[in-house]
Amino acid sequence: MATEHHQSGRRIDRRQFLSASAAILGGAVVLDACGSSGTPSSGGATSHPPLSKEPGNLSILEWGGYEAAGTKAQTNGLEAGKTYTAKFGANSITYTYITNDDQALQKATAAGPFDIMHPCHENLPDYVSRGLVQPWDTSLLSSFHQLNPYLVSKGQVNGKQYLIPWDWGYGSLSYRTDKVAASDATGWELAWNPKYSGRISLWSGASTAFEVAALKLGYPHMDQLTSSQVQTAKASLTTQKPLNKFYWESEYSQMQPAIKSGTIWIAYSWQDTQVAMKKAGIPVAFMNPSQGRLSWLCGFMLGAHTKNYHHAHDYVESFINHDASAQMTNLYYYGTANDTVKPSEIQDKTLVAALKLGDPRAIAGPDVHLQSWSPNRAALELAWQEVQAS
Amino acid sequence: MMTADGHAARSGRGPRRTWARPGKGALVLPPLLFVVVLLVLPVALVGLYSVGLRTNIPGTPTAFSLLDWKDFLTGGGSAFRSRFVYSMEITLFVSVITTAAAYPLAYYLSFVARRRRYALLLVLLAPFFTSYLLRVIAWQIILNENGVVNSLLWTLHLRPHGEAISWLIYSNFSIALVLFYTWIPFVALPIFVVLENLDHRLPEAAADLGASRAATFWRITFPLSLPGVIAGFVFVLIPTTGEFIAPLLVGGPNNQLFGNSIQAFFSNSPDWNYGSVLAMTLIVVVVVLTLVFGRFLRTDLRAGTGAEQ
Repeated sequence: MATEHHQSGRRIDRRQFLSASAAILGGAVVLDACGSSGTPSSGGATSHPPLSKEPGNLSILEWGGYEAAGTKAQTNGLEAGKTYTAKFGANSITYTYITNDDQALQKATAAGPFDIMHPCHENLPDYVSRGLVQPWDTSLLSSFHQLNPYLVSKGQVNGKQYLIPWDWGYGSLSYRTDKVAASDATGWELAWNPKYSGRISLWSGASTAFEVAALKLGYPHMDQLTSSQVQTAKASLTTQKPLNKFYWESEYSQMQPAIKSGTIWIAYSWQDTQVAMKKAGIPVAFMNPSQGRLSWLCGFMLGAHTKNYHHAHDYVESFINHDASAQMTNLYYYGTANDTVKPSEIQDKTLVAALKLGDPRAIAGPDVHLQSWSPNRAALELAWQEVQAS
Repeated sequence: MMTADGHAARSGRGPRRTWARPGKGALVLPPLLFVVVLLVLPVALVGLYSVGLRTNIPGTPTAFSLLDWKDFLTGGGSAFRSRFVYSMEITLFVSVITTAAAYPLAYYLSFVARRRRYALLLVLLAPFFTSYLLRVIAWQIILNENGVVNSLLWTLHLRPHGEAISWLIYSNFSIALVLFYTWIPFVALPIFVVLENLDHRLPEAAADLGASRAATFWRITFPLSLPGVIAGFVFVLIPTTGEFIAPLLVGGPNNQLFGNSIQAFFSNSPDWNYGSVLAMTLIVVVVVLTLVFGRFLRTDLRAGTGAEQ
């Protein structure tokens, strides 16, 4: 891009300035978080009106498939949220959908305010530095003490619990075992294999696309890419682009049906795709790349200016409790943050072992790469737009 | 009888009550406000974003900068420039094809269908009672690898079972087809209206004077219907320049239009400033197109205004 030409000499352009500012702000937040104690503080320093005085109309930024049970939008059979909707009704909940984490931050910034947001943890510093969220009062969440301490610590900034961890899992390539040779499915380079041109679909989102390219290129610090590494990854993604049938936006209405129909054979996905395809009788494997899988941790954040403070806590409690967490794991085979859910409660023991569902620390294991905060996300976003426009 | 202020008072009813009548300015005010608030102000805001005077990231300082413009117009933003050129090519192609196909349709409705023409027009417009998004998704179902078209070809043994036509979807073809389908009624309508208002005595006179049907069409009917043709062409051209839904749903990664880049900058990326540069470019293009084609669109309304003066 021309910015490279502009970068000569001592001049600093606006984008560099933005990136640098974001890096400093985010870095400061991360450093604060690192320096904090592991014990979360209650966020209820300011007084909030009692639940009976709240409007109760929750506005939630959410992924498709995670809507509370009882709402019309929940069609996948998830039972989480059932205790909330049974108590307060389902009609007062409004969902705004996100399809990737970059978009989640963008919508939280521009399309809000939301009472509750459910992004993944990597952009947590941005949510805090932008003033979009406030800490939870963990004393109002009766199941909070059941949550895994390691995951809980990942949701803290400056000693305050900004994110209540709920679900975690992996990202890799799912592939049709009846169409793709097992010898080809050994690493992330499978997405670059011209043999499968027109049968591949990567996820439409800057951060993950660059993480995948970084792993394929052998960059160990996939979220800390240097400028030259970003350019190399960009070139690599540009080369890969024509091999895609499409970049998928929606998991349930776009990617999974396309795998099922055979339109695509290889797609970036999470482990739930393997489970859904198995149920549909489609032979799909969730690749264990030689460079390692990606891993993620998502949870609930509380809107900075919510008028439904107590409703929001009740809503999240209806998700993080034992029964809701166990059912979520049995439905999607994502890991749960609730430590009281034992592997014995999960139906498919093979998957439990393969995905290490009983051990949340697996997301930070030696063979996986936890998606984390990137200081040069603005540069990645622009580079991704260029890849798509190229 | 004249009153002091010059008004004629009707005898027996006393002096006429005069009401404060709004001037022309007051009548223009509501539409003017509408245009300023809903068009000029948003465009001005986009303009401010494009030069760095506004930002969508809270806490980020703003400063006037033309770097994004320079980047797009002259620098390595060539990916977006080439996407713009590609989009304009698709737009022009779709506009020409749609207009060419809409003309015989409008001609049939006006000259052949006769009493059934309004019923047929309703049939033509019926799909538009459903949402655009649903109609594009319906095309997905028709064009997909396991969709209606491929299944039909397999059933009729016109292609080996399981072997789908690869270019049916996620291709330039699918985008052009969906845009063609979307806009053809809107192009046919202005042509139909012009043909309906055509003085039918003129073709009859031409026939009486010995002109063939082809000569009558090319020398009388077609030239007189040109304002409708141009209006229809513009009806497709202008909205299609910013199209992003059809490429998103039936286009592949290589078939995304300029509108998709703009949409992505505003929905997925933190860089509204660069997105605004692209948006302003499109706005300028649309304004220029409107000005150029507006010269050819002399409507009855304008003629009426002129007659009053």
